[in-house]
Amino acid sequence: MNSKISSNNIIRYSAESEVRNPVKLLGDIAKDAWSGRDLAWRLFLRNVRGMYRQTFLGLFWAFLPPIANTAVWIFLRQQGVFDTGEMTVNATLYILTGMILWQSFADAIQMPLKVLNQNKRMVSKLRFSREALIMLGIGEVFFDLAIRMLLLIPAFLWFGVSLSWALLLAPLTIVLMVLWGTGIGLLLMPIGALYQDVGRFLRLAIPFWMIITPIIYVAPDTFPGSLLVWLNPASPLLLLSRDLILVGGSSFWVPAILVGILTVPLFLLGVVVFRISIPVLVERMST
Amino acid sequence: MIHSATSNDDELILDVDHVWKIYCRNLKRSMRYGVQDLGREVLGKGRDRTTSNLRPGEFCAVKDAHFQVRSGECVGMLGPNGAGKSSMLKMINGLIKPDSGSITIRGSVGAMIELGTGFNPVLSGRENIYINGSILGISKSEIDAKFEEVVEFAELGHVIDSPIMTYSTGMKMRLGFSIGANLRPKLLLIDEVLAVGDVGFRMKCFAHLRKLVEEGVCIILVTHAVAMLNRVATRSVVFDRGSIIHDGDLETGCVVYEETMGASDRVGNKGQSKAQPSATGVSIASVEVVDDNGDANKEFETGQDVVIKVEVSSDRAAKELNLVAALWSPVHGRIASMSTASQNVEFGVADDSTVTVTLRFKNVPLLLGAYHFNLSLYGPVSTDFHHRVTGIGNFRIVGPPTCSLGRGIDGMVKISHQWKIE
Repeated sequence: MNSKISSNNIIRYSAESEVRNPVKLLGDIAKDAWSGRDLAWRLFLRNVRGMYRQTFLGLFWAFLPPIANTAVWIFLRQQGVFDTGEMTVNATLYILTGMILWQSFADAIQMPLKVLNQNKRMVSKLRFSREALIMLGIGEVFFDLAIRMLLLIPAFLWFGVSLSWALLLAPLTIVLMVLWGTGIGLLLMPIGALYQDVGRFLRLAIPFWMIITPIIYVAPDTFPGSLLVWLNPASPLLLLSRDLILVGGSSFWVPAILVGILTVPLFLLGVVVFRISIPVLVERMST
Repeated sequence: MIHSATSNDDELILDVDHVWKIYCRNLKRSMRYGVQDLGREVLGKGRDRTTSNLRPGEFCAVKDAHFQVRSGECVGMLGPNGAGKSSMLKMINGLIKPDSGSITIRGSVGAMIELGTGFNPVLSGRENIYINGSILGISKSEIDAKFEEVVEFAELGHVIDSPIMTYSTGMKMRLGFSIGANLRPKLLLIDEVLAVGDVGFRMKCFAHLRKLVEEGVCIILVTHAVAMLNRVATRSVVFDRGSIIHDGDLETGCVVYEETMGASDRVGNKGQSKAQPSATGVSIASVEVVDDNGDANKEFETGQDVVIKVEVSSDRAAKELNLVAALWSPVHGRIASMSTASQNVEFGVADDSTVTVTLRFKNVPLLLGAYHFNLSLYGPVSTDFHHRVTGIGNFRIVGPPTCSLGRGIDGMVKISHQWKIE
């Protein structure tokens, strides 16, 4: 990043908060994000290449969690342990798709804290585009999502699912869902970096959160069950994305559009908070 | 926090203007203050803080630091552990914010701190060159162009496609330095990374840094290895307990640093000597360092006369006293020990009186550095102990300059010698 600075430029560090000049702050974020794109790509390649190089089963480890989760829930459903409601599509596909999307949403929420902790040494020793870390994290979330999505191809063929044009909208809603989760994660990151309670709470809460999100059962459309859609920030975009992939139409457009409208401002706010909190956190980092 | 502007002053690269940095050592409080500081940052209420508004448990890691660095200067930043130099370096590098004051940098900043940061152990040296280069801000095309040079500089051509985990620590450091050597910023920050590889490689590193300085790059070099500094640095800034206590020529800076190290060794509250109470009433009352003219002085040059005047007092008569003086350097340890008994100098002190013992070093052979004495007072036998004072009579040798490049004298003492070709 530093090599990009023009020799006529003067950098000045003081106690003043960057927030006092929001236009310039957003400009600096955009500039640093642009200059950090190569670094984000290099770190992404480093992590992906390094991730499976020392394993025997390789990419199979990326497929395993949604397969295992879906298998367990399908087995429990067949045993009549819980009632999934009346499904209009094959239950295995319904749960598998939901699981894949949920896993990506959960990854996105935990990503900012994870990416900071993984690169703590770098962050506390070297000055580089902090935005590159966010791009790296989002890239990894999408990479894992793409790998898991590959599972749907044989599943669609096996169950003879016919595709609709609405499927083309699914990438947009999935991107919004990941950015929504990332935005929440970015806002939680500063406190989470100071107090481990946040990370512990997330690890504890996410399985429960999954249960109250209509992933393994059909979303109730009557009160109070409908609150699982309206009051659960994970539900609207996730359920809409699944419907677009599997069904073509959806009854979740309204809550999803409301969340979608909030997504970009929330994400940008998260990026700002992430950026301005790093110096405060570096002061307190032991590496 | 970051402002950009333009300036017409071409020479001034770094301006550290009355900078303060405040930390808290208590973990719980530090986290709580962290939340408060985050809140202030988000609300845009970051404010100047100095000693006047410290919160409980906080202390000043950097106090009112003020210095400037101009184009082509190489500054050694010295100081004992916890003196504030790493905090200063982090602020210059933009990793943390000053709590008061400002740091202005004209041009780009590069840093060689923690060589090999970001290396992935299972990836090859080749892959890691690109990763580490990106982290340091070097583009892929620049690395492509310099790749062979990097590998050759690191002397790792034979293992460049092996995973980094198979490299020794020294090999990793060499690779890290070689990648960083391609940085061409206006201001280069180097933190304790010059202990790289063997002597030959270190010489190559110093030669590279000298070349950068000649090209007009400013270097700030943090190290404890002061003996290596004059291979590249021309100026020093010495920190002690958060404050800058010297900003000027390198030789004096090294001496001041050694003295600071000695002061902390000597327990000294602000460099005060440590004296045990005398059990017998016979004690070393005072010590003064004077020059050849008898004037109090603390700075000498190699070859001058240094005189130590020790005043011994007693509340009772004592005979056949033996004063033992051990000369110490904070860096080298004990240099020499001498006693009045060894030269058959007999002295005593009358009831309730004092006597002055003079120790003269003719043409002192000591080279640049800070020195002090540990003095012990005995009776006729060594079990007859009276008094001991440590870390006293400190003085500095401030010239002439030494040379660690093999073109002059260097080390601890100047030994009379003569070369001859036969």
